[in-house]
Amino acid sequence: MFVLVVGGGKVGYYLAKELIDSGHECVLMEKDRARADTIRDEIGSVVIAQDGCEGKYLREAGANRADIVAAVTGDDEDNLVICQMSKHHFDVPRTIARVNNPKNERLFRHLGVDEIISPTRMILGSIEQDIPVHELLHLAALGEGELEIIEAHLQPGSPAIGRVATDLRVPSGCSLFGVIRNGAPTPLRSDTILAEGDKVIAIGRPDCEVELRQQLIGEQQDQ
Amino acid sequence: MADSSAPQFRRAVVALSGGRTDRPIVALAAEVAKLSHAELVGVHVVEIDWTLPLDADVAGRSEDAQRVLDIAEATAEASRYRLETVLLQARDVGAAIVDEASERSADMIICGLPFRRRFGGDFAIGGTVPYILKNAPCAVWVVREAMPKEQA
Repeated sequence: MFVLVVGGGKVGYYLAKELIDSGHECVLMEKDRARADTIRDEIGSVVIAQDGCEGKYLREAGANRADIVAAVTGDDEDNLVICQMSKHHFDVPRTIARVNNPKNERLFRHLGVDEIISPTRMILGSIEQDIPVHELLHLAALGEGELEIIEAHLQPGSPAIGRVATDLRVPSGCSLFGVIRNGAPTPLRSDTILAEGDKVIAIGRPDCEVELRQQLIGEQQDQ
Repeated sequence: MADSSAPQFRRAVVALSGGRTDRPIVALAAEVAKLSHAELVGVHVVEIDWTLPLDADVAGRSEDAQRVLDIAEATAEASRYRLETVLLQARDVGAAIVDEASERSADMIICGLPFRRRFGGDFAIGGTVPYILKNAPCAVWVVREAMPKEQA
């Protein structure tokens, strides 16, 4: 498989190195010549010291025959341009973009980037899972990001405690489908009464989050 | 009897660029090789850009590449010495020369360096020779052609 990596920072460097070690054909584009020279010394003659945002250099790098283009620069705008050119000018079957600002995720998806990787979102998710806050946790994004799996930890003061799950006014576009009680997952039934300490698992659109929070968590207490 | 002051080698890779330095370095290599009956391998590398897969049939179809090898063989014959020729295609000429030298356990790489100026200014050494000098595991001879008289 031929992978074109654009961006020679830490992510791009290690990505290219791993791909080469795995036996894939890989070329790395880095516009900073000094940085490109350093990487070339490390991993060999697979580095092109040019700006991957320019079509002619993408062509020189072999975008016309790339199976995957991974845009992993530290600049979201650059990554978007690289993926769009790869997709629309060079018919690259799969584009992957690093998205630094989570607010840009939806835009990237909307503009046709096949896969987005958000280190910020990943770290944020990890932090949320480790901190016992009265917040909803985002466990995963589904499909193109239009749905997400959410966990709500019912703490004292939650309006959902003592109520039958089916009586909750769950917003449309959202569904509760399970509860983790004492570490054991169980499906939500019509007679399931929610209790303190329960972790309710929901799936829904991101815009349902505010109403879901009011139903399961109550008003935000930390602010 | 061999001249003990001459640097000797058992097997040398002669880097053939297809330029005007090929004839003099092949002739020089042949004269030195005679002293120790060393093996000479002339290597010409066709660089394949990234728009093509590395195994694209380029070098084999190139008449220019074949001509480079023919000229080198003829030059060696004129010196009454045998030169084995190899045609390679690679992403980078310097890396291919070094790899070939390593694979053949060559103890010498001989390459020519034309005298060129970058935009008429500083001497331009290019990228291949510095790469070979930096990465070759064996000894390297670089034969730079003379500076043109008007620039000397």
